[in-house]
Amino acid sequence: MSDIRDREDAHEFRTEALSLWRITFAPLIWALHFVASYGATALVCAKGEAGAVEALLLGVILGTLVALALILWLGVQAWRQWDPRRDHEWENDKGTSEDRHQFLSHAGFLLAMISFIGVVYVALPVLLIGSCA
Amino acid sequence: MTRVHPLPTAEGPYPPTEEMLNAPVFEAEQERGAKELRAAWKTPEGWRYVTAVNNSEVGKWYSLTALAFMLIAGLLALAMRVQLAFPGMTFLDADRFNQFFTMHGSAMMFLFAVPMFEAISILILPAFLGARDMPFPRLSAYGYWCFLIGGIFVLGSLLFDAGPKAGWFMYPPLATKDEGIGPDIWLLGLSFIEVASIAAAVELIVGALKCRPPGMRVNIMPLYAWYVLVVGGMILFAFPPLIAGDFLFELERSFDWPFFDPTRGGDPILWQHLFWIFGHPEVYIVFLPSIAIAAMIVPTVAQRPIVGYSWIVLSAVGTGFLSFGLWVHHMFTTGLPQISLGFFSAASEAVVIPTGIQIFAFVATLMVGRVKLTLPMLWIAGALAIFVAGGLTGVMLAIVPFNWQVHDTYFIVAHLHYTLFGGMVFPVIAGVYYFYPFFTKKLMSEKLGLWAFWLIFSGFNITFLPMHLTGLMGMPRRVFTYPESSGWGWLNLISTLGAFIVAAGFAVFVYDLLRPKKAQGEIARNPWGAGTLEFSHDVPEEAWGARSVPHITSRYPLWDQPKLVERMDAGRYYLPDAPDHQRETIVTSVIDAKPVHVQRVTGPAWITILAAIFTGGAFIFPTFHIYTPAIICGAFAIVCVMYWLWTSTARPPKEEMREAGLGLRLPTYASGPQSVGWWGMWITMLGDATAFASVVFGFFFYWTARADFPPEGAAHPVGLWVAVAALAGVAAWALTVAARETNARGQVTLARLALVLAPLAAGAAGVAAWAAVRDLDPTSHVYPAILWALMVWLVVHLAAGVLMQGYCLAGSIFGKLTPRYDADLRNVTLYWHFMAVKALVTAAVLGLAPGWLT
Amino acid sequence: MRTSALLMGLSLLSACEGRQSVLNPAGRDAQDVLSLIWVMFGGAVLLWFLLGVIFVYVTKVEPREMPRRWGEALIIGGGVIFPVILLGALLTYSLPMMKPQREADEGLKVHITAEQWWWRVAYELPDGRRITSANELRLPTGRRTGLVLNAHKVIHAFWVPALGGKVDMIPGRETYLSFLPEKPGVYRGQCAEFCGASHALMAFETVVMTPEDYAEWIEAEASDAAKPASGEAYRGAEVFAREGCGGCHTVRGTQAQGQVGPDLTHVGSRKSLGAGILKMTEDDLSRFIAHTEEIKPEVAMPGYDHLTPEDLRALAAYLKGLT
Repeated sequence: MSDIRDREDAHEFRTEALSLWRITFAPLIWALHFVASYGATALVCAKGEAGAVEALLLGVILGTLVALALILWLGVQAWRQWDPRRDHEWENDKGTSEDRHQFLSHAGFLLAMISFIGVVYVALPVLLIGSCA
Repeated sequence: MTRVHPLPTAEGPYPPTEEMLNAPVFEAEQERGAKELRAAWKTPEGWRYVTAVNNSEVGKWYSLTALAFMLIAGLLALAMRVQLAFPGMTFLDADRFNQFFTMHGSAMMFLFAVPMFEAISILILPAFLGARDMPFPRLSAYGYWCFLIGGIFVLGSLLFDAGPKAGWFMYPPLATKDEGIGPDIWLLGLSFIEVASIAAAVELIVGALKCRPPGMRVNIMPLYAWYVLVVGGMILFAFPPLIAGDFLFELERSFDWPFFDPTRGGDPILWQHLFWIFGHPEVYIVFLPSIAIAAMIVPTVAQRPIVGYSWIVLSAVGTGFLSFGLWVHHMFTTGLPQISLGFFSAASEAVVIPTGIQIFAFVATLMVGRVKLTLPMLWIAGALAIFVAGGLTGVMLAIVPFNWQVHDTYFIVAHLHYTLFGGMVFPVIAGVYYFYPFFTKKLMSEKLGLWAFWLIFSGFNITFLPMHLTGLMGMPRRVFTYPESSGWGWLNLISTLGAFIVAAGFAVFVYDLLRPKKAQGEIARNPWGAGTLEFSHDVPEEAWGARSVPHITSRYPLWDQPKLVERMDAGRYYLPDAPDHQRETIVTSVIDAKPVHVQRVTGPAWITILAAIFTGGAFIFPTFHIYTPAIICGAFAIVCVMYWLWTSTARPPKEEMREAGLGLRLPTYASGPQSVGWWGMWITMLGDATAFASVVFGFFFYWTARADFPPEGAAHPVGLWVAVAALAGVAAWALTVAARETNARGQVTLARLALVLAPLAAGAAGVAAWAAVRDLDPTSHVYPAILWALMVWLVVHLAAGVLMQGYCLAGSIFGKLTPRYDADLRNVTLYWHFMAVKALVTAAVLGLAPGWLT
Repeated sequence: MRTSALLMGLSLLSACEGRQSVLNPAGRDAQDVLSLIWVMFGGAVLLWFLLGVIFVYVTKVEPREMPRRWGEALIIGGGVIFPVILLGALLTYSLPMMKPQREADEGLKVHITAEQWWWRVAYELPDGRRITSANELRLPTGRRTGLVLNAHKVIHAFWVPALGGKVDMIPGRETYLSFLPEKPGVYRGQCAEFCGASHALMAFETVVMTPEDYAEWIEAEASDAAKPASGEAYRGAEVFAREGCGGCHTVRGTQAQGQVGPDLTHVGSRKSLGAGILKMTEDDLSRFIAHTEEIKPEVAMPGYDHLTPEDLRALAAYLKGLT
């Protein structure tokens, strides 16, 4: 009979104090990318001199690549943790620590996917529209 | 942090074994437990009934009140449709029509949509989680009474021809220049909703994360809990910008500080940004909890677990995040640069993906399951049909050149009603039919339900489908009439006829809901064969919620855990009794729902009603510029709240540990990050910080948008005083932290000394901040105005912080706060962490920014 | 009462319906958007029906269990892959479409300032001349004309559906829009941002003309006001002067130089009266002058109902003659 004071780190899966936050990291990167891109554009278009627009476009593209790389990294990490090929079990609906662990990584992976798409979409205007008009 | 007297932690066997669960509970034991629970959870009778705070009572009042407000707003719409049925009608004159459309929108959004979701959550979230009540019942009750008072007042203004009439989004300068009290009444209504919503956010987040039954890890939490958790988070970041906007709006109305007056450096566009940063997530705040109802109904209909649980979690969280990147799509026509518009067009399309995923998950569940169509499912089907149509027009509207044609036309009216009816009204009605037997053990009428459905569904489409064409044919919004030559007459007439059909449908629905059903027999507890916990509750006979708090091992406990309900009813699980006649629930850990402590929740009280009345007065009197009674009411409201906190929160317990059932012994007092009060403070402060950030954003917005910010030769804040304010503010923080530390180490006298000095430091900071700006004239230009606004914000928060320090000092002196039982002081210190950051940021803006910017 | 009589009595200013319709483009920008609209609308209807068919199939036609894999495929295929591609394509196609309406003018600029509840119009010619008018916009075909927009007190919006999208008019800020009209005709525009009591009554006619007709018209518009041509019109001019109308209105070439209200120099040649809500006839003119506040709630101009019917008729004749 186990006791409430037993910690599950004795087994493979640690109690993940941060993990609920972790699933929000990818969307947070999307949000930061969005705010930075919009904020920089607003500033440059309102206050910048003539040459600043090129610098802005370059900056946003760079920022996009960085964001995508980070999200990709998070997604790969989440994929590894989720490890769907091991047990072909996607539902993770049992009340065990293993299922909870896999669920959180699955959720993290899916959120990385949607954040990736979001960042790509938000970068499109920079590629397709070149001016502050 | 070395505490002198650490609090005890949980002890005992966990998780419970099958053997333990099989052990029988003796009759006598069961009866004793039931009797104690009944006594603790007794609903007050007679005129004391209004003091009830149990979620079943408060939730019921809240939803019925929201329904009443919705029906009134619906009548306003009918009147408008009559006026627009033919060109040149004079049923309503221009002024009255303008009041009606403003109030229709405002009441629907602020007095129905958001409160209704709060009401439903209050009613059913505890049930989903096997909890007995929400974590802060008196807070829910307070929110309700504020809502009732505010709603009556705001809607009542129509009877005096004094309603707001500049549209539900009150754009300045039109709204700020209005000489009547309409905009002030609108602001008032808003203030109540803001208070109630932040309270709701606190309850939902704490409820979903800390009040789950033991064993209900996050991956087996009901989807409804996931959705309201996301929504709670969204509220924290969406409402505060509106609060900041209201703050500036009211300062302009009352004191003529020109935030939105372009002749003195202000900018009406700032309001639009602040409003829509709130306004777009707002509609998702309304949509997500409603579609969450669908997520609970669909598995029952398919008689199998949901397919794509993780996908739906992705959907909720993803939509929550992405929805914050859409707001400028309400401002596509304001002339902003194309790239900027492009960002929002892209994000508006991106959000369609997570929104759609959950719908496909529902369809997938129905596909994979064995479908048993019921009346609630019919409403869900109607919801999906309508919502998808609205979503598709949304996809179109995100495209800027198209938006430029149809913005502010009836096309938008069509789109918003399709998404709101489909995404909120229909699922909520489905929820009413589905959960009705949960709270009353009776069923609503199948026949009347079908009539209501077909009337509302067909009426809705007859009303709003033509509006897509009406808008494309050029009819703008908010017009009290139109010329015959426009060719819009026949379309408007059809829409008007449809509106009356919808009204008839609602009449049938409301009749079915409210009619006495005494003659109907009571049915079994779970008529739909659902798998989730709410149908284990024995309402309405027993007010205790769950007979005993279960240990959960599955997403659908009623399907997967044999003998669950039997064991719950027998009091086999946790907290099967109430030896102190106190209301209690179990607080568990965030990820894995391991029991952490027993939490006393509050019972019936007059103080919440009094606090709400005084709060009402504090907001209502200024609407009429009667300031002295307003201040008195405000003071009394604060007194009431402090009394309420003092008597019912964080009281040192009689017994430190409690036998919680199944061999588990749990502490009865928690302090710091373990305690729900600490969480409440954290969550509130996050919201407050967002509002503060919005005001600071305003400062930088003016700098970006206006060439004359700061204006030539403007006076700047006095650097010396700014520095003093910063130092004093930090000192006040440091002293509060010192108080916490010394108190925890048992050095009570030192702690009390710190708590005497801290308010003095805070007071000095406030005076210094005022002195820094006092020679600037805030009515002359927006530059001094925004600096003054920041100062006022800081001073008000310093004052609140001082009250809190005083509360702790009193607590220490009168024995409520000890080195061991120091939850209050930990919560107050948390407040002061935020306060320190605020003081430094304010000082930076007041002191350093003028130098950088000029 | 009079409002209703007037509005119900409003006959078609032109026999053609849909003069204010997005679906009846008369300019390049409106035409381009319309093509996109048909595509999007068609796609939306198709997708809605598709989803409906799937839903009905899984709930009514085949309510029995189907393999889990199919459900998951639906979520991934329908929920992720399909929308990502479709929406990405839509965005890529539409983002560059904003550019034309922001393009610079090709010689002609019109400055329009919105008031409560009328339109101040000033044509800025390439040679630097500025010609003031009100409540009507005239544009040549085949050339992009720029519109520089502003507002006096509250936010309004400028919209001519037949020519292109709308732009807000915001006090303290200048916004910009350009049109490339293609089909000559008379189209109706309307304020599309709620601006107070008479928001519904703030519209205007847009007359699109060939370049030759336009050149002729602009020269006429630049000239001073016509002299009264009849005895009644002459009397009307006297009433105009006596009642102090010149305090608010300008009639170029006379003493009337007021800036508060619309310029009346060539008011008689406009297609509508009162900002797009009445006909430019002597009857409507006299009724509008006598009962301004009843026709347009909360308007700044007082009603001149103290004038005798003869005076009103004379005034109307005078104004009608200002072509």
